[in-house]
Amino acid sequence: MAAREIAKGICWVGALDFDRRLFDELIPLPEGTSYNSYLIRGSTKTALIDTVDPKKEEELIVNLIKLGIEQIDYIVINHAEQDHAGSLPMVLEMYPRAKVVTNEKCRDLLVALLQIAPESVMVVKDGDTLSLGDRTLRFFLTPWTHWPETQITFLVEDKILFPCDLFGFHQATSELYITNEADAYRSAKRYYAEIMMPFRNSIRGYIQKVRDLDPAMIAPSHGPVNRNPKFILDAYADWVSDDVKNVVVLPYISMHGSTQKMVDHLTGALIQRGVDVKPFNLTHTDIGELAYSLVDAATVVVGTPTVLFGPHPQIVYATYLANVLKPKVRFASVIGSFGWGGKAAETIVKMLDHVKVEVLEPVVIKGLPDEAALVALNRLADDIAKKHKEIGIL
Amino acid sequence: MDRYVCTICGHVYDPEKGEPRLDLPPGKAFEELQNDWQCPVCFADKDKFVKA
Repeated sequence: MAAREIAKGICWVGALDFDRRLFDELIPLPEGTSYNSYLIRGSTKTALIDTVDPKKEEELIVNLIKLGIEQIDYIVINHAEQDHAGSLPMVLEMYPRAKVVTNEKCRDLLVALLQIAPESVMVVKDGDTLSLGDRTLRFFLTPWTHWPETQITFLVEDKILFPCDLFGFHQATSELYITNEADAYRSAKRYYAEIMMPFRNSIRGYIQKVRDLDPAMIAPSHGPVNRNPKFILDAYADWVSDDVKNVVVLPYISMHGSTQKMVDHLTGALIQRGVDVKPFNLTHTDIGELAYSLVDAATVVVGTPTVLFGPHPQIVYATYLANVLKPKVRFASVIGSFGWGGKAAETIVKMLDHVKVEVLEPVVIKGLPDEAALVALNRLADDIAKKHKEIGIL
Repeated sequence: MDRYVCTICGHVYDPEKGEPRLDLPPGKAFEELQNDWQCPVCFADKDKFVKA
């Protein structure tokens, strides 16, 4: 891939990964991803902002060689995770005089994860600046905007923010800049759901700080460069707020059709009451889409059959994931069916210990739903509509 | 003595149980822990804890 200038003297030198289909061996990447690294040339010093995933390290090095870069003075590492810092050993081998610039926590992680020599790291604190001659880098520590060591770097004169994972999204594209904000919104919201949502409260505190910097451009470490920062800052402000929408997310599995019938009935009953519903049959659900829908849903209802006294393992998996992603959902319930016994509902409710939800009375029945079961599902739909009215979203 | 929960990972500091992972015996109030005390699970700083 060719290096490209995002502003005079500032080049994207990263790698596009059109083929990658899974991140963390967990989350599907329908649009591939990119690992963005940026080279900034000042009048006296040259700095590299982050690196790329080590499987693409040669692309980064080739980009630098083709640009005729003989010396790098500083390699700023905003985040120690391997998809951004992983090529650091190779870059240091090629540019041995370069100093790694990062915060103390990140240094410790670079030592542990990549066996970087601690003496090659120049430690910076929140608000510190670093001169490149006619250009200045300023560092802000933003812990828990993904990891404990996450920081962002601001190029003061050009007003370009390099926030690493924050505000980016997984997409491999030949376009250097975001050209379609509606498309970018979806991809960025999905990325937020998968990566940033557990750190909602930490992120909330940094949004105004970033707005105060008044960046002209946001150059993240995944996805295209953003020339309209207000777009992503407004979107993040909405996602991290406590506001929820009039939506029920309904992940479910049905083995022999009983839970499916309950899901269908509840879906219809909710629609009749003016509540939006998003059912996800987990046999063919993209987990990223489920996470996306949880970003601002008010309620989650889990639909599960009973397997060996408990919930279906696919449901356990999705519930575990939803719990650790900590969505701002306010209400939860369980519906489902069993053949001869079990305690699926209790198990699911117990798993939701990271989300502060009010549990609405589950509807768990024996066998195929009968008239009484349908009445109970109508009651649950009534309860949900009532709760949504109480908080002013219906 | 109040229990405190880590807002990052959800770990609960319970003064009645102490913190076996850190060899911290029961009986110490959260407020009495040193300022550089960190969550034994995710290593978030003490200021990331709120009352449970």
